[in-house]
Amino acid sequence: MDRKNIKKWLKEHGKMSHKYSLWVIYFCTGCGIIEIPPVITSRWDAERFGVIPVATPRQANLFLITGYVSVKTLKAIIRTYEQMPDPKFTVGFGSCPINGGMYWDSYNTIKHLDKYIPVDGWIAGCMPRPEAIFIAVTHLWTLIDKDMATGYIKYREKYKYYRANQEKVLNGLDWPPLYPINDNEETE
Amino acid sequence: MVIKVLEIIAAVIIALVIGIFFLGLFRKIMARIQWRYGPPIIQPLLDIFKLFHQKGFSHGIIFNLGIILSLAASIVLILFIPIGGLSSLETSGGLFVILYIMLFKPLGIALSGGEGANPNISIGISRRLILSLGYEVPLLLILISVMTYYKTISIVEIVNAQSNFQWSLFSPLFLSGLTYLMILPAILEIRPFDIASAPQEISSGPAVEYSGRYLALYHIEHAFSLFISIAIFVDLFLGGGANPFYFLLKMLVVFVLGVFIHAVFPRFRTEQAIRYLWRWPVILAVAGLIIILVIKARYG
Repeated sequence: MDRKNIKKWLKEHGKMSHKYSLWVIYFCTGCGIIEIPPVITSRWDAERFGVIPVATPRQANLFLITGYVSVKTLKAIIRTYEQMPDPKFTVGFGSCPINGGMYWDSYNTIKHLDKYIPVDGWIAGCMPRPEAIFIAVTHLWTLIDKDMATGYIKYREKYKYYRANQEKVLNGLDWPPLYPINDNEETE
Repeated sequence: MVIKVLEIIAAVIIALVIGIFFLGLFRKIMARIQWRYGPPIIQPLLDIFKLFHQKGFSHGIIFNLGIILSLAASIVLILFIPIGGLSSLETSGGLFVILYIMLFKPLGIALSGGEGANPNISIGISRRLILSLGYEVPLLLILISVMTYYKTISIVEIVNAQSNFQWSLFSPLFLSGLTYLMILPAILEIRPFDIASAPQEISSGPAVEYSGRYLALYHIEHAFSLFISIAIFVDLFLGGGANPFYFLLKMLVVFVLGVFIHAVFPRFRTEQAIRYLWRWPVILAVAGLIIILVIKARYG
């Protein structure tokens, strides 16, 4: 941890302050709500690292999606993600957002979350231990340090791809596009 | 003239530094009470840095101006409050100006938040204004008692009259001082009176639509108001201070007392808060005022 490195603070204070002041909005869709309270309270005390929960997406810069994502909650996740201010980071917690997990053949569950919003990091496991959130946070610090946590830039550049996927699974969205859709963008 | 300007700048900088230090201390003490290690003491500073680097959302010109109005009111208020020997605008105003400008803080937030068009903001603003209605009544009675006892409206003269340890907390003004301590959590908006910014009920109330640098200004304003409400208590009842260091030491004691109250109490509902604020503090404040009037009538 280089929180006390004054030289680095003077050189790149924006990046450093984003690292050590992660305000989290939790999206506890199904499971995962049990793992969050020990992390933010006395047992594992995430506030040591500047990680605190906030009540509104407008103030958050880390989006933690725990547990499976059904089609209905995907809509709320997209809206929450689009309301967060840049720069914003996303972490998927548990196996279900990665590849569907135990809901791999469910008709009503999203299998790959990163088709719909960009995800900067994954925590695998069903469910991961609460300590895994700290590992994710330290990995996220490394990514921010190396300018690799660029999900929000990717979302802006590849918006056509994400929007098309969202509209496909939700049968059309009832809000206008967040960014202007670039027609020349190559879809993957 | 130059010294005057320097004094004004110094007062604002002292208030800002001490306010942000208090915010950090607040989180650290809370963590220690809850058997946690807690964040570093400079964590609020890091948060404010981060918020200035974030891309904030604005909701129109009034949204921006309201928060600036609130911040400006806090900065003006600091100039009227003597900080130890440092008193920037001593000749003018006095306690009446302080009482008037104190209302600008919730009004600025209300003006700004109203533009955000979020139902949580409306609920938060109505709760915040009701709360200030609740504590303004006993506060006015307390200030009237103090002004009657010292026969002046100038806060500098009140501080000077209390030199040589003749603190008004241990004078006939004892009841008024006690009442100020009773309404101090409401002025500071800490528990049990954090009904306006309840994160679990109404998603942190008026602050729900603030992000980026607007939220940073909101936090700075909060730091200022933390400083102001404690400084008024120290000036009126604990005799100010011979120098700023002594003054800040007294503030620290009062602040830690407030944090302890915050740590152990749950939150009032709105009507419970008003029932409390308009009953016991008002009764005690009226009793204190009557004592002062009797003493003044008898001994002059």
